[in-house]
Amino acid sequence: MASFDDNTQFVIGMLRECGLAHKTIIIVLDEFHRFAQGKQRLLYSLLDAMQSVTSQAVVIGISCRLDADQLLEKRVRSRLSHRKLLFCPPSKEELDRLLECLLSLPVSSSLPQSYIVEFNKELRKILADKKFKDTIDTLLSSDSTVDQILRFLFLSVSSMDLKTGILSVENFMTAVVRMNRQPKLECTKDCSILELYILVCMKRLEMREQVSYNFNSIMKEYKAIHDSFQTPDYYARNVCIRAFEHLLQCELISFMDNRRNNQSIEFRPVKLLISPYELHQGLKLNQSCPTILQKLMDQIGKRS
Amino acid sequence: MAETPIKARKRLDLKTPSKPLSSPSFLPPQTPNTQTPSRHFIPPSIESTPTRRSSRRLSLHSDDLNLTPEKPIKQTTPKTLAKSPKTPKSTRKSKLSSTQTEKVSTQEPIHPKSPALSEKRKRKSGDGLGNAVKTRARAQNVPKKRVYYKKVVFDGCEFVVGDDVYVKRRENASSDDEDPEVEECRVCFRGGRGLMIECDDCLGGFHLKCLKPPLKEVPEDDWTCGFCEAKKLGKEVQLPMPPKGKKRARTLREKLLSSDLWAARIESIWKEVDRTYWFRAHWYMIPEETAAGRQPHNLRRELYRTNDFADAEANDPLSLLLQMESVIRHCYVMSPKEFAKARNEGDDVFFCEYEYDIRWHSFRDSQRSMMKKSDDDDDSASDEDWKSTKDPVSESEEDTDFEDEIEKKKPRGPSSQELAANSRKGRIFGLQKIGTKSIPKHVRCHKQTELERAKQTLLLATLPKSLPCRDKEMEEISTFIKGAICDDQCLGRCLYIHGVPGTGKTMSVLAVMRSLKSELDSGSIKPYSFVEINGLKLATAENIYRVIYEALSGHRVSWKKALHFLNERFSEGKQVGKGVNKPCILLIDELDLLVTRNQSVLYNILDWPTRPNSKLIVIGIANTMDLPEKLLPRISSRMGIHRLCFGPYTYQQLQEIIMSRLKGIDAFDKQAVEFASRKVAAISGDARRALEICRRAAEIADYRVKNQSSPADTTSVGKTNVGMTDVEAAIQEMFQAPHIQVIRNSSKMGKIFLAGMVHELYKTGMAETTFEKLAFAVSCFCTSNGEQFPGCDTLLRVGCKLGECRIIICEPGSRHRLQKLQLNFPSDDVAFALKDCQELPWLAKYL
Repeated sequence: MASFDDNTQFVIGMLRECGLAHKTIIIVLDEFHRFAQGKQRLLYSLLDAMQSVTSQAVVIGISCRLDADQLLEKRVRSRLSHRKLLFCPPSKEELDRLLECLLSLPVSSSLPQSYIVEFNKELRKILADKKFKDTIDTLLSSDSTVDQILRFLFLSVSSMDLKTGILSVENFMTAVVRMNRQPKLECTKDCSILELYILVCMKRLEMREQVSYNFNSIMKEYKAIHDSFQTPDYYARNVCIRAFEHLLQCELISFMDNRRNNQSIEFRPVKLLISPYELHQGLKLNQSCPTILQKLMDQIGKRS
Repeated sequence: MAETPIKARKRLDLKTPSKPLSSPSFLPPQTPNTQTPSRHFIPPSIESTPTRRSSRRLSLHSDDLNLTPEKPIKQTTPKTLAKSPKTPKSTRKSKLSSTQTEKVSTQEPIHPKSPALSEKRKRKSGDGLGNAVKTRARAQNVPKKRVYYKKVVFDGCEFVVGDDVYVKRRENASSDDEDPEVEECRVCFRGGRGLMIECDDCLGGFHLKCLKPPLKEVPEDDWTCGFCEAKKLGKEVQLPMPPKGKKRARTLREKLLSSDLWAARIESIWKEVDRTYWFRAHWYMIPEETAAGRQPHNLRRELYRTNDFADAEANDPLSLLLQMESVIRHCYVMSPKEFAKARNEGDDVFFCEYEYDIRWHSFRDSQRSMMKKSDDDDDSASDEDWKSTKDPVSESEEDTDFEDEIEKKKPRGPSSQELAANSRKGRIFGLQKIGTKSIPKHVRCHKQTELERAKQTLLLATLPKSLPCRDKEMEEISTFIKGAICDDQCLGRCLYIHGVPGTGKTMSVLAVMRSLKSELDSGSIKPYSFVEINGLKLATAENIYRVIYEALSGHRVSWKKALHFLNERFSEGKQVGKGVNKPCILLIDELDLLVTRNQSVLYNILDWPTRPNSKLIVIGIANTMDLPEKLLPRISSRMGIHRLCFGPYTYQQLQEIIMSRLKGIDAFDKQAVEFASRKVAAISGDARRALEICRRAAEIADYRVKNQSSPADTTSVGKTNVGMTDVEAAIQEMFQAPHIQVIRNSSKMGKIFLAGMVHELYKTGMAETTFEKLAFAVSCFCTSNGEQFPGCDTLLRVGCKLGECRIIICEPGSRHRLQKLQLNFPSDDVAFALKDCQELPWLAKYL
C-alpha cells in the first residue's frame, strides 16, 4: 500500500506529464458533499494541483446539495473556482418533447414497419389526450424530476397490453396510482381489529395530553374501553403484545428513544406515527372495523 | 544515523547470498567467483568472419555474415546452457547485425499523428558530431515544438525508449574511431580464428589453443586465466606485450569499464526545433565511480543504475552528450534475472542490481523497479525476445531474429500498462513516455487571440513574472531568513505567517526562497537546505518527522526513528548524512493541521530551534491569526514571538495584481478590472477569487464575441474587450445562490410545502416545526384553494426531496409525523421566490 502522500505525488506527477502531452484529464467526484468530510485532504490536494501544475485537468463535483460549497473549509473553498451549473427539472415544453422522445418507437428498428407506424400514431393520440395530461400533472405535482418521469414511464409501459402491443391511457393511469401509494394508510387498512384497538387507545391517550405512555398504559386504556362499552373483542395480554410488536414492525408506532437499553418493550415509551386524519381514514376503509372504534374516533375528531 | 556508503555496502554484502532466488535457474550463488560465463568461440569453418561480436557497421556491408556460422553454434550451446544456466552465454551475437536490414525497411510509425515518427538518419561512419548541419539541411516540415519519438532509427540503428546504449564521453571522443568488433586474444593478439574463452576475472579473451596448457574444450564452470590466478597468488605477472606497432584495440565494453565511455538508459527521445536529436537518460555507473569504489563482491560486469537524470535542460556541461550523435550503439544492462537467462547477447552485456543515489551515496535494491521496467518497456533484452530463441527446434538464426522482430512490433498496448498506482508504491516510472505523444496540428497552428492569451495568463497555475503588492512582507521574510542563516552562530528561529486564504502567503515565501537560491548560486550566502512541507499532505501529523528526515538525509525510515535521528541532529548537533550540518529552513504550510491532541509534534518542531547548534529555522503558515494562543503556553511562547500578517488584499492591490498579469495584453477595460477587484475586496480579498472572476469574464466575453461574429462577420468587430457587463455576469454567476432558482423550479407540492413552512414560521415564530403541523397547514391550503391534497405519505416524500438538496433541513423520513423540519434559507428568500408564481397565484396570500 502506498501512503496518501505517495499517491498524491503520483497523481500530481501524472497530471504534469499529461499536461505536457496535451492530454486532458477529467476527474469526476460524484456525491461531492461526501468528500467534504473530515480534513478534506483529497479535495485540497486535487484543487491545489489544479492550480499549481500546468495541466489540462478538470475536477467536476456532482452533488444534490445546494450548499455543498459551503461545507468546504476556507482554504479549500479559496481554491475552488466557484463555477456552478444548476440542473433544474424540465419545463412543460421540455417535458412534452421528452415524453414523445422517450415513448415513440424509432423508425429504423427491427420491428415491423406497420407496427411502428401504428404504435406511434396511437401514442400521439394519447399525448394529446386530456386525461393523460391530467395524469401527468398529478404525477408531477409532487415530484417533477426526470428520474421520477422515467420510473413512471417504465411502470406504464410494463403494464401495456401484450396482445395488442399498443399503449393506452389506462396504462398511464394505473401507473400513476401505483406511484402515489399511501403506505401508512394501506397499512391501517390491513390491520387486525386488535391492532386497531391499540391504535385508537394510543390516540385517546394522546388526546388526554399524556405525553409519554407505554404498553402498560395502553393496556389500561384498552381495558377501560372494554369495561365501559362492553365490547366483544377482548384478548389476553400476550396476544396484545404480539399485535403491538406487529405495529412496531409496520412502523405505525415507534419507540420514543432509539437507545437499546435492556428494558422490555412493555415499559418503553412509544409514539404513534400516523396522524389522526390518516387513522380516521384507515378505520373507514377497514371493513372489519368495529363501529365502536369509529364512534370513538368521531368523538376525538369533534373534540379537537 | 545515516548509513554511510560503506555500511550500505556491507548490508548488500550480507544480502547477496540470500537474494530472492525465485526461479530455480538462480542456483549458483552470486558471488563473483562462481559467476562464470563459460564462453567459447567457435571458429567459422571457412571464412575468417568474426562470430563473437558483430558490429552494425560491419554487418551493414556483409550481409552474408548471418548465413554461415550461427547454426552450429546454436546446436552446441544448449548442452552447456542446461548445466550452468546462470551465465551469459558464449555465442552472444549482437542482434542488430542480422536484423538490421529488415528493420530499416519495415519501419512502422507508432503514432500516426506525428509528422515523421521514426526517422532514419545516416551518419558517415565515425564522424560523430559533425553532421548536425547535414541533417538540418534535410528538414522538410519543421515542427515548431519538440517532437517526441518512441523509436528513432539513427545512423541505421534503431533506438527505442528504454534501450541501454553506450554514450561517448566528450573528452575522448577521438578514441572512439576504433571500435574493434572482435576481441583479440590476449596472447597472440589476433582476433577470430579458433575458439576463445573469457576469463571470469579480467574478462580477457583467450584462444583455447594459445593457452598453456591448451584447452580442448570450454570448461563448464568458472575459469580464470593463468595471469589472474598468478596475480591472486601474489606473483608478479607479466602480461604478454602486443607486437610492436600494433596498439591493442579495446572494445567498447573495456572502454566502459575503464570509464572512458558511459552507459545510459534512454528515457525519452525527442527532436528539437533545430532538428537535432536529444535524449534524456539515466546514467549507469561502474563500481569504481561510486563513493565506495569497487568492492570485492562486485561482478566484473556490474553497473549501478543512478538516479541521476541526465537532463538536457539542466545546463550542465554534460548536456552536449545527450545529443543522439553521442550514442555509439546498444548495450544490454540486465537485471539479475535477465542476466541469468541471457545467452548470446554479445560482449555488451552488463549486470545491474542496485541503484546508486549520487546525491546521498547510498545504494538501493533496484531490482524491483528494474523488473517492472523491463516488463513494460520494449526493452530489447526482455524475456519475451528470448523465448523464441530458447525453442529447442533449431532454426537458422535469421528466421528467429525475424520473428523477434515481428513480436516486437505487436503493439504492447494498455494491457501491460494497466498497473494501479499502488502497485508501484506511488513511485513513478516511465512517465516520460507519456510525453511522446504528438500534439494535434490544429492546436499547434492555432493563433491565440488577445482574449485567449488573457485567459491563459489569468490561470492560477501560470506563475506570474512578478509578485506585486507583497514587497514589504517579502522583505521581512528575507531579512528574517538571512539574519538567521548568515549569523555565524546560526541561532534557530521561528516565524509564524498568517492570513486569510488567497493572500499570497506560500507564494511569497517561495519567491523569497527562489531569490535566496540565486544568491546561493552566486556565492554570496552560505549553503543551506530547504524543506517544504504541507500539513494537509501528510498522512498523519507524526509523518512530518519522516518527511523532514528524508529530505535531509535521503533515507526513508519510520517516523519514530526519524524523530530520534532528528532529535540527535537538532538538539545534540550530530550529523545527518554526509558533510557538515547546513542550516535548515523548514517551511510548514497549513501548520494548524499539525496540532495533535497533546500537541507534541508542534512542540518538538518548535523546540528544536531553541536548542544551541540546531541551525533550524521554522516558518509556519496558517490561516488563523490566533493559532499560537489556542495552543499550549509552552508552544505559543516558542512560536508566537515573531509573526507576520498577510492582510486581505485591498482593491487597489487586487487591481495591480490583475493588471500586472495582463501586462501587454489588451483585453480588459480598466473599469472592468477595478469593478472585479472592488467586489472581491469587499467580500474576501482573495486574489484567487479575483483572478477567477476575471478569467470567467474573459470567457463570457469570448463566447459573446464568437456568437456575434458568426451571423454578421464584418459589422460587429467593434467591442472585443472584456467590459463591465461581462464582469458583472461573471460575478453574478459566482456569487449567486442557486436556491431561489431551485425553489422556483420545484414541483407544485414542493412549493405549497415551502409556503406552509413559511406560514408556520410566521404563525408560531419558531424556526422548527414538525411534519404533523405542516401537513395540517398544507391540507388546509389545498382544501381552501381547490387543490387536491395528495396524502401525507406523498407529502412526506416531497419534504424529504427538499431536504435532500438542503432547501429545508429535516430529520430522516422514518420519523414521519414527528419529523422536525426547518428552513435552510431565510424565509424572506423563500417568500420572494414563491410570491409571483404563475402556477399557484394563491400562494401569495399566505406569505
